[in-house]
Amino acid sequence: MTPNAASASTGSSGPSRRSFLASTAVATAAVAGGMPLLSACGGSDSGSRDGTTSGKDAKKILPTYVASNVVTPDIPARNGSSIGFTSELDMAGLKTSVPKKLGKGGKVTVMSPFWGSPPKADNAYYTGMNDLIGVDVVWQNQDGNTYEQKLGAVLASSDVPDVVVVPGWNMNGRIPSAIISKFADLGPHLSGDAVKEYPNLAAIPTDAWQRSIFGGKLRGLPMPSAYVSNIVPLYRKDIFDKEGYEVPTTADEFHALAKEITNAKAKRWACLDMKWTAWNIFGVLPGDEKGLMWNLVDGKLINRMETQEYLEAIEWTRKLFADELVHPDAKLGKSSATDPGPKFAAGEFLIYNNDISQWYSRTAEQAAQNPDFEVWGMDLFAHDGGTPTFWAKNPAGIFAFVNKKASKSVIQDVLAVANVTAAPYGTKEYMMTNYGVEGTHYTLKDGVPVKTDQGNLDVLNAYVMIASPASTLAHPDFPEVARGQVEWQQKVGAHTKKSSFYGMQITEPSRWANLSSDFEQLEDDIIRGRKKIGDMQQAVSDWKSKGGDQLRDWYQKILDENGSAAS
Amino acid sequence: MSHSTVPRSGAGAADEKDKPPVASGGATGPDDGAPSGPSGKLGLRLRFRRDRVLLLMTLPALALVLLFNYVPILGNIVAFQDYDPYISDNGIVSMLHSPWVGLENFQRIFEDSAFWDAVTNTLVLFFLQLVLYFPIPILLALLINSVVRPRVRAVSQAILYLPHFFSWVLVIAVFQQLFGGAGILSQLLRQHGYDGLDIMTDPETFKYLITAQSVWKDAGWGIIVFLAALSSVPTDLYEAAAMDGAGRWRRMWHVTLPALRPVIALLLVLRVGDALTVGFEQILLQRDSVGPGASEVLDTFVWWNGVRNQDFGYAAAAGLVKGVVSLGLVLAANKVAHLMGEQGVYKK
Repeated sequence: MTPNAASASTGSSGPSRRSFLASTAVATAAVAGGMPLLSACGGSDSGSRDGTTSGKDAKKILPTYVASNVVTPDIPARNGSSIGFTSELDMAGLKTSVPKKLGKGGKVTVMSPFWGSPPKADNAYYTGMNDLIGVDVVWQNQDGNTYEQKLGAVLASSDVPDVVVVPGWNMNGRIPSAIISKFADLGPHLSGDAVKEYPNLAAIPTDAWQRSIFGGKLRGLPMPSAYVSNIVPLYRKDIFDKEGYEVPTTADEFHALAKEITNAKAKRWACLDMKWTAWNIFGVLPGDEKGLMWNLVDGKLINRMETQEYLEAIEWTRKLFADELVHPDAKLGKSSATDPGPKFAAGEFLIYNNDISQWYSRTAEQAAQNPDFEVWGMDLFAHDGGTPTFWAKNPAGIFAFVNKKASKSVIQDVLAVANVTAAPYGTKEYMMTNYGVEGTHYTLKDGVPVKTDQGNLDVLNAYVMIASPASTLAHPDFPEVARGQVEWQQKVGAHTKKSSFYGMQITEPSRWANLSSDFEQLEDDIIRGRKKIGDMQQAVSDWKSKGGDQLRDWYQKILDENGSAAS
Repeated sequence: MSHSTVPRSGAGAADEKDKPPVASGGATGPDDGAPSGPSGKLGLRLRFRRDRVLLLMTLPALALVLLFNYVPILGNIVAFQDYDPYISDNGIVSMLHSPWVGLENFQRIFEDSAFWDAVTNTLVLFFLQLVLYFPIPILLALLINSVVRPRVRAVSQAILYLPHFFSWVLVIAVFQQLFGGAGILSQLLRQHGYDGLDIMTDPETFKYLITAQSVWKDAGWGIIVFLAALSSVPTDLYEAAAMDGAGRWRRMWHVTLPALRPVIALLLVLRVGDALTVGFEQILLQRDSVGPGASEVLDTFVWWNGVRNQDFGYAAAAGLVKGVVSLGLVLAANKVAHLMGEQGVYKK
């Protein structure tokens, strides 16, 4: 439904490879500072289907945190950034974090979103991972861009796979209710000290676990993420330098630059759809998740759709389209969206925004055949050039759930998988999960792992979707990219605020489940000139009268019970 | 789901109309040695006894039709519920436990402007396809039929059939490469100093685009039925007409077209019954490119609300409305066929 920052990470091509996991993760240090929920008292019924769980109720079921730092990060987490590793990795001295195979050799089917082209089912990466874990994981990869269109149908069937990966931005309509009724409570295996059985899971930051409580039970295996925006405006630095283009610092400058770049006759446009960046530079509340869309302003809860900034961001993006500065491909819908990689490399457009992981993946895939190619992240700015306000997204956005009908041994096998995939940087398990098999998926060049073509094909998504370590940015082959990414996050983090329901996993009552389902479509219609801003104002007033105002009261109650998480 | 049973049951009825002669032919064999008079005069019991072997042979097909066409219709119960498929692993149990809401879903539908947009788009597309698409296979069939050299004929038939076997994803990708905003046509125009043309994302012309894609993909395939009908025209009719001094055009007008008329009428009736089904996959793939305002049809409306938003009761209600209207349309079209003296989907 709602547009959002995070759905960008679903972008149209692969937030792939190791950086996917790295980029969307959160830093351990950030966690230490931010546990507002635990200090709040009260909380709603732990068994109820809607609402949220916090305070003492949450404390009872959260796993005990046991830190594990195998390698000290070169750049510690700050302002909600990931931790960064930029110095050379000692490939000979990799630690072992899982000394004995925990898997019992069972078969586990996993349905997961996949961005890019899935490899063959019996590829060397899957086989290698399965050997390492001792579990026969069978992947059912589905197109990530249209994942929400399949999820509802699969969950309504009686044939739900053993594990289903659900990104937070796909939790629309009745999906949250399906999560609560279809997936197992992992509490008996993970709550409190039980998690120590799986040391890498015990090292996952507590606020990521906090987000994995659905319907009062610990049901999710989280992918921790940095809470600063994951949407980076990526640009072709090599062409910018050659043509003397200056990186813009206001919304108007961006528009002017886009005009200068665009030359349709020469098949060059400035950018793709910049809506996600517009949310950031205009300071619009995030649309990632329903709870994040609300914020307390002067004693009253307001929704992002009711703000002036929201309309301004849409209008600015619309103008880019109206002035034909956007590549025509961006006008196409999700279902016909193509991988931006090749056309970005061909210079058909010079700027696009997507998950921060693409900063690395674009760099890596062009490095061999296109040595001049250089992509860099544009610093976010306030639209008017003043001091910006960015809003925090949640510290975990993608979860793996286990089928309620799974036997105990299947659950243990899944946890064995998670314990390997959550291994921290500097371990053999991390290397295997994110780089694949040495010699097949990567080779060592002067001690630095470099991915082979097969590595770029096979080692994509999949295992990183089942639990990850604290957010890590580390690219031994391109340390300067890792540094750039963390520094970008920290610059954005310096101006990032948390809204009232930050960090809470909130399930809305199902009678309002589809109240805002059509807003993303409406935004896109306006931006592409098919509807008017007035239609949006009408839609917002309809939304209010059809339940939006009641929903506001409902959220107010949660706020009264749990306290605000705002900063 | 229910709508698809309409044309299909119609087609079944059409088959049956062919059966009686076969049935009575076979009936002379059986052991009971019943008099082979006009079957209408026999009592029901006698007819049943006489035809029992044949009736027995229809049972498997009947079972399949019941199982796959009629049992699922019971699922329409959810149209009167606030159906939540997630309360149980079994759809039937979920149905038993979902709360009843009476006609609320229907009330919501009739108040929903998006639903009426979908109805309008569906009807516009139907009429457009009726005018621009329906005659093309007939013309192509006549054209092919006039080709004498078998080799040329076979090659051109193959070329015409081929696009039918492409998937919609592929067809749309090809159209995008040719006519998209950065496609071959647009770049060619730009290089010659004109503005680019983005046919693929223009909501105004979307209905023509959809029709053009359908014609390109399926018109060739559609000629098969007409070619079969043409091949059954006795050649002595042409010879007689030629003897009487009829030229090419008169022969076509007085011999060929009358021979095609029953087939055209039948297909037209079937097409009208299917009027509210104007192509699901094709439109769904391009829905986001032009926005739902121009592209939403009833089938995608049902899909969007049911599968995507999990509002199953609401979607089922919309589907039910569509099914009922389709049934009405096919009956009306059939009536018209009868008035014109044709058989339609069943004999009166």
